[in-house]
Amino acid sequence: MLMFAIRRILVSIPVLIGITAILFVMLNVIPGDPVALLMKEHASPEVIARVTAQMHLDDPLWTRYFRFLSGALQGDLGTSIKLNRSVTSLIMKAFPNTLYLAACAAVVSWIIGIPAGILSAVRRDSFIDRFFMGFSLLGVSMPIFWSALLMQYIFALKLKWLPVSGFYGFEYVIMPAIVLGWSSAGVIARLTRSSLLEVMRHDYIRTARAKGLREVGVISGHALKNALIPVVTIMAIQIASLLSGAVITEAIFGIPGVGRISINAIQARDMPLLQGSVLFATVLVILGNLVADILYSILDPRIRSQMGRGKP
Amino acid sequence: MKNKVRLLLASGIASLALMSPAIADQMLRISYTDDPKSADVQMTTDYYTLPLNVYDRLIEAETTGPGTSALVPGLAESWEVSDDGLVYTFHLRQGVKFHDGAELTADDVVYTFDRMLNPETRALGTDILNFVAGAQDRLDGKADTVTGLNAIDKYTVQLTLSQPYAAFLALMASPQASIYNRAFTEAAGDQFGLTPETTNGTGPFILQSYELNDSQMLVANKDYFRGAPKLDRILIRVISDSETLRLLFETDEIDVFDMDYASSQTPYFYASDTWKDQIRSGPRVGMYYYHINQAIKPFDDVRVRKAFQMAINREQILEKNFYGKGQLENGVMPRGLSCYEPATPIEYNPAKAKELLAEAGYPDGVEITLAQVSSWSSKWSDMNQIIQAQAAEAGFTVKIKTMDEAAYFAQRKAGAIDAYTQSWSADFNDPDNFFYTFFSEPGTKVRAFNNMDQEVFDGIEKARSMTDPEARCALYRELGERIVQTDAAWVPLFSLDHSYVVQPRVKNFVVPWNGWSDMNYYKMEIAE
Amino acid sequence: MTVSPDLNVDTVEEIQEASLLRDTMRAFARNRMALLGLVFVALLVFLAIFAPIVSPHDPYRMALDEQFLPPSTTYWLGTDNFGRDVLTRIIYGARISLVVGIVPSLISLIIGTFMGVLSGYIGGKVDFVIMRLADMMIAFPSLLLAMVVMYTLGANLFNIFVALALVGWAGVARVVRSQTLALKEKEFIEAAHANGASRVTIMFRHIFPNVVPTLIVLFSLSIPDAIMWESSLSFLGVGVQPPEASWGLLVSRGKEYLFQAPVVAIAPGVAILLTVLAFNFVGDGLRDALDPSMKD
Repeated sequence: MLMFAIRRILVSIPVLIGITAILFVMLNVIPGDPVALLMKEHASPEVIARVTAQMHLDDPLWTRYFRFLSGALQGDLGTSIKLNRSVTSLIMKAFPNTLYLAACAAVVSWIIGIPAGILSAVRRDSFIDRFFMGFSLLGVSMPIFWSALLMQYIFALKLKWLPVSGFYGFEYVIMPAIVLGWSSAGVIARLTRSSLLEVMRHDYIRTARAKGLREVGVISGHALKNALIPVVTIMAIQIASLLSGAVITEAIFGIPGVGRISINAIQARDMPLLQGSVLFATVLVILGNLVADILYSILDPRIRSQMGRGKP
Repeated sequence: MKNKVRLLLASGIASLALMSPAIADQMLRISYTDDPKSADVQMTTDYYTLPLNVYDRLIEAETTGPGTSALVPGLAESWEVSDDGLVYTFHLRQGVKFHDGAELTADDVVYTFDRMLNPETRALGTDILNFVAGAQDRLDGKADTVTGLNAIDKYTVQLTLSQPYAAFLALMASPQASIYNRAFTEAAGDQFGLTPETTNGTGPFILQSYELNDSQMLVANKDYFRGAPKLDRILIRVISDSETLRLLFETDEIDVFDMDYASSQTPYFYASDTWKDQIRSGPRVGMYYYHINQAIKPFDDVRVRKAFQMAINREQILEKNFYGKGQLENGVMPRGLSCYEPATPIEYNPAKAKELLAEAGYPDGVEITLAQVSSWSSKWSDMNQIIQAQAAEAGFTVKIKTMDEAAYFAQRKAGAIDAYTQSWSADFNDPDNFFYTFFSEPGTKVRAFNNMDQEVFDGIEKARSMTDPEARCALYRELGERIVQTDAAWVPLFSLDHSYVVQPRVKNFVVPWNGWSDMNYYKMEIAE
Repeated sequence: MTVSPDLNVDTVEEIQEASLLRDTMRAFARNRMALLGLVFVALLVFLAIFAPIVSPHDPYRMALDEQFLPPSTTYWLGTDNFGRDVLTRIIYGARISLVVGIVPSLISLIIGTFMGVLSGYIGGKVDFVIMRLADMMIAFPSLLLAMVVMYTLGANLFNIFVALALVGWAGVARVVRSQTLALKEKEFIEAAHANGASRVTIMFRHIFPNVVPTLIVLFSLSIPDAIMWESSLSFLGVGVQPPEASWGLLVSRGKEYLFQAPVVAIAPGVAILLTVLAFNFVGDGLRDALDPSMKD
């Protein structure tokens, strides 16, 4: 197991280097000038040229890349061009906010997804099956920017139950967590349903049934335990994908998280900040996958599955 | 995780106290679309709310009425300008204290401007000091001091210019000329302005907290030299989404709604019984315009440019898209700017525009491209869509090209951007702010107008150092006619009012003279 | 959101194509939600193709005197800020959504299948390189990747295809690769090999047909994904540009008028919701039908 983990981490190194290199090249191709953007309407050519030189942004691409790489190896991701602060400190400050949102969203998705999956597996092909699967699919099918808008309109403006936007306490995270969590509940529900159905076909369940155990007993006692293995293991990937998938949610609900930082960074052509936040998100995804794979092989080595990216 | 929850709960409780409308102290809750990045004004060219409230300038531009302003004493009690227009002597007010208790002296002023020009600072706002003698040498690292910057005694500062510059006093009142404290700022180094602990000014408010991408809190400076401000606190939240801002305003979590962020809301607020009496409106000393790049065909031909001017029904855009809240402009200077006088009107005449196009060799019409920026307010792309429909009548086939802001500024800097629409509000009340910015030799290139009219270049340079106000204004008006009528180098559209909606408890809300969203809140009050 | 179809390879290869199709159709027809979804999709395709004929107005004609008219018999869903018919613009938006759902999904399917078969069958260094490439694409925050592409190439429909294909191929490649790996061990592949069939022949004659059912499911499930992506990019302003009528764009512009004319923002959102839901039902139905492990 340890060897497996080490091997996986070693394999990820070229992936990380590749991603940073691709980013560097892309950001060199993409039109834009971070310093001109700092000055916006007041940009004057002399000042842009001077500040660009002062920030060493006019160095050749490879010089800047190796400066970034050697810095990153020593744990220094550089200084943000736009925000003039250390990239590491910016990310570390924003990350707990994103983590909090992602964790709440994950809980929402389990609350909706797991019962829906169980119910529809038990009452397979019935109205209940269709209804619950439909409900969890509804979340996947609603664009976040639209459902967020409706929720703000209804729950904040009309009913005045919840605050519109901001990040100052638990009540502020309710709407974003529901919007984001519901959107990934469908995946959880599908997985729960299909794995429960598969487990229920197995012999020992048939035996249990044949022995006259009641349906509820069979499901809660035997089937569920086994059926939830893939669901539990996929949670690691789910949280990782929620972490990097909360960009629009963070923007609409005013949550100062990593997603907003990375969008700001790309819009500002803030290379060090973008590089840092992408590296960070990538490491999270890789770790999430690794944890999931390890969990899989511990809990049930037979199952191989993937779960893709979350909603944008 | 657990700590985070606890932290959130704690800050939630604290913030609930802050957010709740019925609180004892007077707190104004406003918003900004983006994080200000820093309270150090030398490091920004467009986020002025913090600097305007945390620092003072030697001179202040005070709003004296709708759209009008006067230069009044700030940290400088009085000043003199030598007859040759080169030497400016400022006499500082005595006993002014910085937030950390240090007293303001002439050395602080010298330090502040020297810091701006120090190459180590990497300052962005250096343009205001371009005319100070020795500024360029300091910027280039050729000198360790600025020859034109001198402290005569503890309370007297002298600035010497390399050539007379009529707008210099007005520039000294711009946010960028905010004054810092030497000892504090030197100690803060490159952290200055990034946190409350590393920010220090003389202004009416003190930066108390600064949460990146979330909010900044200002508290009253009880020892302010003009007397303590009426407000106890100002909460500035970062709200990037205009719809969210509107909901926050409607749910009474924000006190001021800036209609600039959602001009489409104008009719709603003017029609609303709740809000129509809460609208505070003032003329903006600013110009909406279409830019034309003469380096890109077919705009190299003056007849095509004239045709484009005539193909736009500005009246209709003003009426339908901006609900008539403004007036048409025909020159380079908008109303409210010193030297302003109405210019020769531009005619809306699609038929004549078509003739002009035919004359220019495009009898079957011609394709042009308009550039727009994806992250900007929808009012710009709406305008382009309307122009697209309007100009079709005159034979223009308009293509709209969208790019992001970074690409836009990069292309513009290179002089290669397609025509676009934008507005420009006065930074300081002088025509130079408009003419030099757009039509001087460096300006016309970096803004990609490429209007290579030597007569205009010479005129603008000449006007900068003219000392007779009347002759100077006459020259500017002449230059304006040449640019709009003869060169047809840009399409002036209109100047608009800047409207805000405020909660009933907000008193003394005055729209700043130039119509900026950034303003000083010293005189504002909150009353239930 | 890409869900792996978990097809059981052992049984797939034994099913004859004809009976596969028959069984699939029968199983699919039993699933009422999937049928409902299919009917909706068919209706949408009809509306999109015949948009100029069926839609009541011109989607681009501006009538600034008819701003925000409430729903009426002339304008079923009212008019927008330029006095354009909201329903007409939604119908034209269906064209964009369908094209954006299908084209990039096809592109990423083709690239992903090619890469996946290559990687799984040839193995070794080729496998390593392709899979690391896929790892990169999957680990890369996809919204950022899509935005970088849109910023670099410019915001228009064609570049959305490029961005989405770039984001989507890696997932397909992974699934196809794991199926190829399983198929490679099968007797009929080894038999073909022994009969002197070339690698190319084996890959495209023998392996490819056996991954087709998976591809169908992947394709049907990636359509709603792509529609969602397009609407998000357009919402962020880096996708389809006005005056084109994309649903995401309609919501993002319409939300400014939520108070005066809520329909302008809500209706296109409902259109996205129903379409994505319908495609998801169809996809689910197809997967259930094509996946023998789900059969009783």
